[in-house]
Amino acid sequence: MFGGLKAKLHAARSRLGSSIQTVITAPGSSGTGTAPQVPVSQKESPNQSPSAPASPSIVNKVKVLLIERELIVSETDVADALSELELTLLESDVALTATDAIIAHVKKILVGKHRKIGESVDSLVVGALRAALLEVLGNGFNLLDYIRTHPRPVKILFTGVNGTGKTTTVAKIGSYLRKQGFSVVIGAGDTYRAGAIEQIGVHAERLGIKIIQHPEGGDPSAVLFDTVQYAASHKIDVVLADTAGRFHTKANLMSQLDKIKRVMKPDLVVYVDEAVAGNDAVIRAFEFDKTIGADAVILTKADMDSRGGAAISIAHTIGKPLMFIGTGQSYDDIAPFEPAQVVEELLGDS
Amino acid sequence: MLDGLSTSLKDALRKLAGKTVIDRAAVDELVKDLQRALISSDVNVKLVMELSKAVRTRSSEEEPLKGMTVREHVLRIVYQELVRLVWASTDVKLEPQTVLMAGLQGSGKTTTTAKLARYFQKKGMKVGVICADTFRPGAFDQISTLCTKIHVPCYGSLQEKDALKITREGLAALKEQELIIVDTQGRHALEADLIREIINLNNLTKATHRWLVIDAALGQQASEQARRFHEAINIDGVIITKMDGTAKGGGAMSAVAETRSGIAFIGSGETIEDLERFDPDGFISRLLGMGDLKALMEKANEAIQPQDVDMNAMMKGKFTLRDMYKQLEAVNKMGPLKQIMGMLPLGNMELPEGVYDVTSTKMVRYRIIMDSMTPRELDDPSLINSSRMQRIAHGAGATPDEVRELLKYYKMMQRTLKGLRGASGGKFNMQRLMKRFSGMQ
Repeated sequence: MFGGLKAKLHAARSRLGSSIQTVITAPGSSGTGTAPQVPVSQKESPNQSPSAPASPSIVNKVKVLLIERELIVSETDVADALSELELTLLESDVALTATDAIIAHVKKILVGKHRKIGESVDSLVVGALRAALLEVLGNGFNLLDYIRTHPRPVKILFTGVNGTGKTTTVAKIGSYLRKQGFSVVIGAGDTYRAGAIEQIGVHAERLGIKIIQHPEGGDPSAVLFDTVQYAASHKIDVVLADTAGRFHTKANLMSQLDKIKRVMKPDLVVYVDEAVAGNDAVIRAFEFDKTIGADAVILTKADMDSRGGAAISIAHTIGKPLMFIGTGQSYDDIAPFEPAQVVEELLGDS
Repeated sequence: MLDGLSTSLKDALRKLAGKTVIDRAAVDELVKDLQRALISSDVNVKLVMELSKAVRTRSSEEEPLKGMTVREHVLRIVYQELVRLVWASTDVKLEPQTVLMAGLQGSGKTTTTAKLARYFQKKGMKVGVICADTFRPGAFDQISTLCTKIHVPCYGSLQEKDALKITREGLAALKEQELIIVDTQGRHALEADLIREIINLNNLTKATHRWLVIDAALGQQASEQARRFHEAINIDGVIITKMDGTAKGGGAMSAVAETRSGIAFIGSGETIEDLERFDPDGFISRLLGMGDLKALMEKANEAIQPQDVDMNAMMKGKFTLRDMYKQLEAVNKMGPLKQIMGMLPLGNMELPEGVYDVTSTKMVRYRIIMDSMTPRELDDPSLINSSRMQRIAHGAGATPDEVRELLKYYKMMQRTLKGLRGASGGKFNMQRLMKRFSGMQ
């Protein structure tokens, strides 16, 4: 999923690197003394020159001046490269607000930084980017650990706008949890959309998962309440509660969701959105988090050549961990989201 | 819809209108604001960059048209470049045809199919639907439930897995219908098998239209996906769905630019009636808060003769009832006042709301009342005392209150025009305005 973003980040990174490089080589070539410099004691320097520490001498002083000299990166040095990085993020669907925050962060790390001449430019930039991205993405969410450490049944409510893939995701997670040895029951809480009950019904049948259904047009709270009752009396580990897609702008549908939440008392509210969403991802994630709350996020449709920007946007907006990524049409196309690994992959060298 | 984008674009243009000097820096600032506004609406970044480059080079290289200020020149370029983004609306004819629906998973194809069926049914056509989505569970249940509600025949199968076979049979079964809509499975451009399938479906149905359904929230991917769909089946129209949320539809606009087609419909709600035709005329103008310049230009040309309204005299503060009479007459030919005012690029000037509160029926009343006034009264409204008021009301078959109201409106107009004059430095020139409109395409 992050292939596109990765390629672009690499390009931006080398650009950023070279821009800093030019700043550094310029004063270096004109001999000593012209560049802003702050000599440091050799003890503090991790990039120790090959020679062993010796008593201060002319040679050492020169060495400090030439090799251990530090340079200060100024704002103008990185302006061009940062605006390129900004475009890269925007093109990868990172929302404008999130992009601004990341750029500000990278700039803060880079600008005014004392860079030793021996230190690689690359590592400096990568460090800054990594810190920024990791900060935004936060920690992942381990569902299995969560279920293991909480009283059964663990009730999970899925929310989101229309067409993001809630029903398919519920089926995928049902399948995933079954494979991990948990018993699962699904509540068909989408009683509004034509064909939705049939859709989740067929999924459940294929997977051999028990499903609680009411007829179309029924009260979703009632269905999901029944599902929780069923799980409690049959000692089932996990309740997966599907709901109808709804827009955050529809107050009555949102209050319906609020009622569902009051009635079934979910342990986890999972917000489902698609990886291909643009700037609106930020707005709706914020609204859902504000009105209903969200404990974790699942991104779907990550196989659509998306650049993963929505992950960064949503995580930045509501600060909730990403739990899973949906990557295809079959039941196994779902993967736990691990931010560190993703960031490593993005910034790795291959 | 598009309110957010509209507001930010308007703010950008207002900033420009508020500047005393329009130099390169001012243009750069405008371009930067435009970029942010468009990008945060999900318009493709490359398109935005092309647009901003065009605005920059054109505003410095092209000579302003005669009688046009630099400000107007820049506005015109922005307007033209934005119009290029949206292209034209797709022609929808009410004749026998086949429509093939294409789109990503979850973009709302099935719901839109039902809405389209309803739309054409209301136009008096015999409509049939084929459900060629054999993959998603419940897809056939969904479309057949929706079709049953509106009594439209729907062909599909729960067992058959071959979409081509279903479609072939469906075409035969529904050959009595004038319009056949083929709903397909959601797919994205990287799924080679599915792209092949839709190419085959297109060949099989010989579809008159191939419409791409795009979620308003779709981001930067929209362009790329649209391009691939276009390569596969030559998309000739885009339907934007889920416009009832907060999404701006910039992705769909990019898709339109990519396929060089037009926006055919806009879906904006969950019920089967929530589908609108897209009308590109003035779309961008409204977006920019510049009003519908093209329409105004046409209207103004036919409605206003030079002797009708002496704007310059008005601006000098010699605004009499007689002027207002002429103005009301001209305005009457052009449409409601609010619309006209909305059409004028007045930049950051705020007009009092009351100015607009004159309905067309009221305007007719006002003219009748003014017909009962003497020439002296028309030239100098301050003459009108309560006995004259009685006489005027009597002659026009109105109440004295109405006459008083008219005078109140006149005073408000006078104040407003004085305000206009102050804000635009006395350069509010109707002739120039007209020129500007004719310069816009």
